[in-house]
Amino acid sequence: MKNQWLFFLKGIVTVRTSGRGSERFLNTLTRAGVSVWNVKAHGSQVLTFQMKLDDLPTLRQYARTADCKFEFVGRKGLPFMKKRMLRNSGFFFGAIAFLVVVILLSNMVWGIEIKGANPATEYKMEKELEKIGVKKGKLQFFIDTPEGIQRYLTENVNEITWVGVELKGTTYHLQVVEKNEPKKTELLSPQHLVAKKKGTIVGMFIEEGEAKAKINDFVKPGQLLVSGLIGNDEKKKIVPAKGEVLAETWYKANVTYPLEKKSNVYTGDQKVKHTLELGSLKIPLWGFGNIDFDHYVKEEDKRQVKFLKWELPIVMTKNIYREAEVMTQVFNEKEAILEAKKLARSKIKKQLDEDATIKGENVLHQSIENGKVTLSIHFQIIENIAEEQPIIQGDKE
Amino acid sequence: MAKKWGERLRSWMTKNMELPQDVMMDLPRITMIGQIHIYIENHRGLLGFSDKEVRLLLEHGQLLIKGNNFVIKTIMPEEILLQGTIEHVLFVAE
Repeated sequence: MKNQWLFFLKGIVTVRTSGRGSERFLNTLTRAGVSVWNVKAHGSQVLTFQMKLDDLPTLRQYARTADCKFEFVGRKGLPFMKKRMLRNSGFFFGAIAFLVVVILLSNMVWGIEIKGANPATEYKMEKELEKIGVKKGKLQFFIDTPEGIQRYLTENVNEITWVGVELKGTTYHLQVVEKNEPKKTELLSPQHLVAKKKGTIVGMFIEEGEAKAKINDFVKPGQLLVSGLIGNDEKKKIVPAKGEVLAETWYKANVTYPLEKKSNVYTGDQKVKHTLELGSLKIPLWGFGNIDFDHYVKEEDKRQVKFLKWELPIVMTKNIYREAEVMTQVFNEKEAILEAKKLARSKIKKQLDEDATIKGENVLHQSIENGKVTLSIHFQIIENIAEEQPIIQGDKE
Repeated sequence: MAKKWGERLRSWMTKNMELPQDVMMDLPRITMIGQIHIYIENHRGLLGFSDKEVRLLLEHGQLLIKGNNFVIKTIMPEEILLQGTIEHVLFVAE
């Protein structure tokens, strides 16, 4: 038997002939080189057989002279399938369009929930989010990562101290901590103010209570500064002492700073590559060619394509290759010492409250060894040293 | 007369030169696989076909095949492959 599959590709027709000359017609056909198969008899004088679609012109040519009737009863093969597919293409495209729409909708932003912000801040945040494209109905592929949004918001909205951005499905959840949270009215219990560090008092601002220390007094930690017991012996009263006691305190900081510093500096040149990953197969979409940077830092941003609530094994990857140069900064002694002092100052500031100020600094010790500057600096700081100490009622007697 | 002579020559040649007879003498070569298939080469055309009977024209006479459920799997100018349940194969002289 011949390869039926090849015939299938070309198209097969089933022909029914009826009439006295059916057999003779079959002979004529075969002699004309038409391949005929699966000849079946149905009752008297009725035959069905199959032949190639390509041979139809030959059939027509001989059909005129034959004394039998023809009917085409079956069509098989690729050409007919193609035709049918074209006719039914609506279903096919509908199904594909449906899938595409579902995938698109699954990867859209459907909601932005801001928690912990007052309406004004919320409005401002929404505006800022809109600026960077975080909006209802936007595709997640074109939106920055949650970390990026977080960074942008903390930088651009002054009212917030911290914002946590989380993407859950199609909704962004933003947890906000505002700077000016409504102050809780403190229920002050009777208390003293005592020193929490040793220092010399330079200023006192007492709202309530009786000062027990004077300006220029040297105090030790735990020493009573403002008493909550006021009045004389006859009229005693216990109040919550309140106020600020500014004192000069001392800190020592040790810092080392190298004379030669290596750092990665971005040149600003970068190459972006977009890849579509299907399982382990990677299809480059945009950004071809090699990376011709000597040194670069690679930044990867992966987005999983979602389908309804499932994550498909399809990942949109954006790789950013930033060209970097290793820069060696060389300082001379003077510069290194300056840098070291700067470092020390920022180090000290981290330890202090926000309202503390640096009054002065003295370099106690300075050495240059093994290409490093080592400094020991003494800082004079003005800060509030008052600390609350509750008065326990039993202490009165 | 000339035709007879030709035939005799051919018959002699096949006998003495060990040539296959179907080639030399235009005889049909019939191959059967049990009852289910019959393969006939060198026929001269289909004369009649129904699911119980097939009549083929040969160079000399006809071949009548009887049986059930006949289907012609392939037919070519000189070859035919028949499928079904074959019961009789008859040579009918002209």
